[in-house]
Amino acid sequence: MIICSDIEKSYSHGSRRKKVFSGLNLVIEKGERVALLGRNGAGKSTLIKLIGGVEMPNSGKITRNMSISWPLGFAGGFQGSLTGYDNTRFISRIYQRDYVTIRQFVEDFTELGKQLKMPVKTYSSGMRARLAFALSLAIEFDCYLIDEIILVGDQNFQRKCNEEMFLKRNDRAMIIASHQTELIRDFCNKAIILHHGEATVYDDIDLAIDRYTNL
Amino acid sequence: MMNGSPIHRLLNSWAIQVRVIHALMIRELITRFGRENIGFLWIMAEPLLFAGLVGILWHFMKGSTEHGVSVVAFTATGYIPLTLFRHCVARSVAAFTANQSLLYHRQIKIVDFILARFIIEILGGMMAYLFMAIFLILIGEFPIPADLGLLISGWMLYGVFCFSICLILAPLSEISEAMEKFIPVVTYIMIPFSGAFYMVSWMTPGAKDFLLLSPFVNAMEMMRKGIWGDQITAFYDPLVPIICSVVFAIIGLILCRRVRRILTVE
Repeated sequence: MIICSDIEKSYSHGSRRKKVFSGLNLVIEKGERVALLGRNGAGKSTLIKLIGGVEMPNSGKITRNMSISWPLGFAGGFQGSLTGYDNTRFISRIYQRDYVTIRQFVEDFTELGKQLKMPVKTYSSGMRARLAFALSLAIEFDCYLIDEIILVGDQNFQRKCNEEMFLKRNDRAMIIASHQTELIRDFCNKAIILHHGEATVYDDIDLAIDRYTNL
Repeated sequence: MMNGSPIHRLLNSWAIQVRVIHALMIRELITRFGRENIGFLWIMAEPLLFAGLVGILWHFMKGSTEHGVSVVAFTATGYIPLTLFRHCVARSVAAFTANQSLLYHRQIKIVDFILARFIIEILGGMMAYLFMAIFLILIGEFPIPADLGLLISGWMLYGVFCFSICLILAPLSEISEAMEKFIPVVTYIMIPFSGAFYMVSWMTPGAKDFLLLSPFVNAMEMMRKGIWGDQITAFYDPLVPIICSVVFAIIGLILCRRVRRILTVE
């Protein structure tokens, strides 16, 4: 279970201050698949970063009672100057997993072949997405945080994700920030709309998508 | 998720941090030195070259001995710890921003970045020191250390004080960009207070009391006393570096904690 209670987050630069949200409350149970909807800049990525512990809220408390992946997104998680293999080794080390098993899975899932010997900074965003998904699937988390990135994959990748993430691991919780309403309709059973610093929870996906389209 | 007694949890967290620091060090060594030619041995190349060349230069400018000790050995024993300090300062500026993509992994704490970089620097410095000492002993320019324990204690105190400075500089450099501009000047001004180029006993009594307030000078005197023993007179109080390190480390850790809360990660 993940409990966010009374979260406030704002960014300040010099004397300017931007409040992203305040008084946000949220509970995510084991196995729930939550869609995070909102317009650009509504705070979807920020909320994912806060839940993932990448950034800290200004006030409020986030309780994590299950293992949560790092936010799988366009940035972060990897060292660009290191190769795919080196990043794999680094992540196996810090998550205390067997490198050989993880590497095997990464090679099979990403199909990147020799590219894994190249620095991650030379990867396209689709290739990064493959690597990030492969690693987080190999480590096995109770909850996956997915920030937009499914969109960038090709057909083959989306098929694999579908199979590994949504079918084989359908008991896991997921928080997906996405603008792809079809994907959300297919896979999520709960939705949160972020708008003007407030979060509204919907148990009815169709209603949520309807509201979101009219924002 | 994590059950058990507080002690069990503490041991578990400790094991995680050790693993993280190990992984960070390997990552840092690969990114900085690569796997080509001598690889990570480059970490001792710079202090060795610096100490070696300056030592030779002074050897020709000042003669082979000064106050009864070999100039080359004296310069080298001063320069290598000084390069450690300078490297530590340079490596801790913007240490968090440079590593921010790794903050995606919750088990990595920002102090781990500082610690990993510091350990690499001090290992490099100590290896260079050892290498240089063995070489100079072989050509008869360096005595067999009179008191190895004192030499190592001096090194440790010097290192720990450098680390406590890193703990303050790293978070400060995130808060204020202006601070970065002052660092080159301040490290240059620090050189006379590093104890690298003199013994306190060569100074006037007034200067002596003043210099002994510097933790670096105390630690450096301990190292040199440990090497030359009765050949030289040294003044030191180990409490100066210890107290300064503790105070700096506490301030630094508080700063790190505050900065982590406001750190924006891309």
